[in-house]
Amino acid sequence: MKEELGASRRKLEGELRNLVGNIFVPEVKVFGMACGCVGYAADLRGLQSDDVDVFKAKINAILSELSKSVGVEPEFIYARKLPGSEEVVTLTARELCERCKREFAGSKASPRPDIVVLKKRR
Amino acid sequence: MQLMIPHPGHFPALKEIIEVKEAEGLNEVGEVFMGGSPEVMGSGRGVLHAPLIDEIKAQTEYAHQHGIKMHIVMNSTCTGAHHLTFEGYKMFKWYFNELNKADVDGVIVAEPYLVELLREFPMKTIVSVLSYVESPQRAKFFEELGADVLTVDTNINRHFDVLKAIVKAVNCEVKLIVNEGCLYRCPFRYSHYNLASHLSSLNQPRFPLFAPDFYYDKCINIRLRDPTQITKSGWIRPEDLKEYEAIGINTFKLSGRTKAVNWIIDCMRSYSHRSFKGNLLELLDCPQLLRDMFYMDNDKFDGAIEHWKKCRKVCGECGYCNELTKEALTIIK
Ligand SMILES: [Zn+2]
Repeated sequence: MKEELGASRRKLEGELRNLVGNIFVPEVKVFGMACGCVGYAADLRGLQSDDVDVFKAKINAILSELSKSVGVEPEFIYARKLPGSEEVVTLTARELCERCKREFAGSKASPRPDIVVLKKRR
Repeated sequence: MQLMIPHPGHFPALKEIIEVKEAEGLNEVGEVFMGGSPEVMGSGRGVLHAPLIDEIKAQTEYAHQHGIKMHIVMNSTCTGAHHLTFEGYKMFKWYFNELNKADVDGVIVAEPYLVELLREFPMKTIVSVLSYVESPQRAKFFEELGADVLTVDTNINRHFDVLKAIVKAVNCEVKLIVNEGCLYRCPFRYSHYNLASHLSSLNQPRFPLFAPDFYYDKCINIRLRDPTQITKSGWIRPEDLKEYEAIGINTFKLSGRTKAVNWIIDCMRSYSHRSFKGNLLELLDCPQLLRDMFYMDNDKFDGAIEHWKKCRKVCGECGYCNELTKEALTIIK
């Protein structure tokens, strides 16, 4: 896991730099929540929501691959923006618990205005 | 009864809230509220969306087409006295004018100066819960400043004698927030909202903060060590709304504009139906985090309102909430 995480950080940063330019990925992590969700998240600097729109398919493919590499099924992939701005600060791939399938990923609208949904498995 | 529903701010969320209201005939839902521009002012909650006037206008028009009123929250508790500068005064006046031109129905404010400033506009002046209206005296003060609606301090949600006195003292509408789970008589309340007001505006505190969530973390820790504090908060069960209607309060507000759309919709359903089965913490805006730690069986709170209606809130002598918590609360394994 240690090797995969370190490698995934480098790979994500490299791929995003190829697509967009100067992107910094200070941290990636695998998390488990009290509700039952597990996920893979990357903190980012330099990415904006326009970039995410343009490269959505590619970002989904990268996130899917990297989250699978650490054992997380990428059921729901999303970007989180800095509230009230277009700066994307986190990319997350999440394997959802039953409640979050309905509550967080179950609306037609994005669950919150700071969340940009990139992929939702129906 | 009329319900005011939180709106996270993005247009698709408003459409979904209204779609459910209409499909399920939730006729009690009459109003929504969302944050305004953080460039003009912060608010008591984090701002997740910064709508421009054109967007507010479009959303208001949509809400109106569906018979829903639109209110904008500008309830910062501290502007750093910006409103008392000529530049600030002109900006607030300009923004209120723009909201008015966008056909917004009401503005939710906490700052008394802005309550007065809003007199110049036909929009409703809705005094925020963050004006801490907790007595007939204070209610009267705000009414005289120009309030059309008073959202009273949730600390008195279970002080029926005070609520009755407020209803009697003023002519304006009295509104209660039903699903805020803040600590009863919280020592952090003023400090926390001042901090949130700064963090959600351009009027930022000095950086770096070593603990931007200091008060929230303290508040969660207090409840973990003493879960009775959750019982003692001023939340109102959907089943108990009728007790408030009986004393002349008919409009209720749901808290939760920073939460997921489907969570908001679930709460809207429960309060519209006046009924909920399950973990009460599922309904509370704050402390939502604890719903995965504690299970509070809503059924076990049947009839508790009868005690709270006459309770003197001298907890050391009473112990009712302690006993009730032992009976109703379990730790989720
Ligand atoms: Zn979950």
